[in-house]
Amino acid sequence: MAMRVALRCISANFSPKLPQLSRPTQLAASRLLWRTDIPRTLSTASRLSTALKFTDKHEWVRVEGGVGTVGISSFAQEALGDVVYCGLPEVGQKLEQLEEFGALESVKAASELYSPMTGEVTEINTELSDNPGLVNKACYEGGWLIKMTIENPGELDGLMDEASYDKFIKSLE
Amino acid sequence: MILRKCLQVREQSKACLQWARAKSTFTDLIDESGQSGVILKSMSTDIYENLAMEDWIHDYVDLQNRKILFLWRNGPAVVIGRHQNPWQECNLQLMRQRGIPLARRRSGGGTVYHDLGNVNLTFFTSKKKYDRNRNLHIVTSALKRLRPNLDVRATERFDILLNGHYKISGTAAKLGRTAAYHHCTLLCSADRALLSAVLKPTCQGIKSNATPSVPSPVKNLLDEDNTLDCDTIMNAVASQYNTEFGFSSPVTLVDPSDEFSFPGIHKMSSELKTWEWTLGRTPKFSISASFDLHDNSSRQNASLNIDIKNGIIDNCEIDLPPHWLPSDVRREFCMLLVGGKFCPNEMAVILAAFLRTTSQELKTKTYNLYQNVVSLM
Repeated sequence: MAMRVALRCISANFSPKLPQLSRPTQLAASRLLWRTDIPRTLSTASRLSTALKFTDKHEWVRVEGGVGTVGISSFAQEALGDVVYCGLPEVGQKLEQLEEFGALESVKAASELYSPMTGEVTEINTELSDNPGLVNKACYEGGWLIKMTIENPGELDGLMDEASYDKFIKSLE
Repeated sequence: MILRKCLQVREQSKACLQWARAKSTFTDLIDESGQSGVILKSMSTDIYENLAMEDWIHDYVDLQNRKILFLWRNGPAVVIGRHQNPWQECNLQLMRQRGIPLARRRSGGGTVYHDLGNVNLTFFTSKKKYDRNRNLHIVTSALKRLRPNLDVRATERFDILLNGHYKISGTAAKLGRTAAYHHCTLLCSADRALLSAVLKPTCQGIKSNATPSVPSPVKNLLDEDNTLDCDTIMNAVASQYNTEFGFSSPVTLVDPSDEFSFPGIHKMSSELKTWEWTLGRTPKFSISASFDLHDNSSRQNASLNIDIKNGIIDNCEIDLPPHWLPSDVRREFCMLLVGGKFCPNEMAVILAAFLRTTSQELKTKTYNLYQNVVSLM
């Protein structure tokens, strides 16, 4: 993420001066310009995941307009196998950070879900009742689990960003 | 309590657990012993106490560098999976008549019948070391060590089959924050007739997304070989567990009703007994049924649609012509049901109150309607 920001800054400095650069520098500059285009062509999952924060229990949170959407990561859904049932809380239920709020069932195993933050459940994904497989197929989008209010925004600082989470899961393998 | 602890000391051979220290909980003793492999056997045959023991070990014992095997048996009980619908899985009426309790596990999977002829095995590990196949291999190896020609095999669905056809074991698991447990049943000498009877649901017309069971033909190991009783099998599995992991753990008896050694366990077993957990945790479902109503001179077909959420009747519609039962009476009957538990006792109370306000001529018809609705519960 920091690298991309740095590249964008460099391109902003370079582009007006391009015609006057010597050839090797022109090539280098054009390569830099090309690379700054990369963020715009990233796949959908990555674009969404730049806004995601992760817990060490492999849950993600996306915050939009003061509401947090919660789901499980690709690493988690792959480890689980085919989800056959989503046991989710009721709307209105108050959750503490790390409190167990439900379970996903796959091949006779119930895997518990832990709240990434403190807040109140405002919505549950009713699509999952008839189509629990969405958790496997679209874990960052259609397979979201619950939406909740964010009582302590500071709790989000303690969660991992995508890059840190990627490092974390590599350390587990 | 002291007597029980002395008995436990006699049970152990070379264990380092210091039972003499009166002020220690089970966790303290385990940690002090430094043992990485522990085998426990329950002194209780109460399903709720034993399920609570599992929860307690999972929640309070450090399983990061330790494995525990828990051996237990229960008096007759039906145990459903965490996300199951008991009305869809078993004959609740028969169970009530015979005093057979219903319990809901915290692990997934399907419905099983327990009695003293069934052995339960729970394998506790860290989440990293969770390995159901390895655990089932321990069980099949133990059985084959006892009887080398025994045809027992674990399947892809984590069942164990005898002679390639009869299910003798079913599996379920729960994965928590940092630890996991995998438990399975093992049919030694269970009452198969009662098993078939209680696992046959009587409620028809259920529409639900609860996890279903997959019925299978079953057999007892004792029928295959009359020396394979529960104790022999439990000892064999314990021994194989030690061999598999290089442990030398004796089998230690534990009392799941001992609040001193297991602080908080009583609250856990109480919670497992509540209606709110066993029946109220059923995923929302609906029933569409039709039945014939009778009075002294005629009969009438009626249809019923009920929605049940958290075990409470959310919506109730009965389709019945007004010549049989006036619409206002029928509507009032439905309205009384909404908000009540889907439970015959609760229905009986509601009906008694309702009948007091019903005219004499309608009492028989109303009672007949009630009987049909209760037959679904």
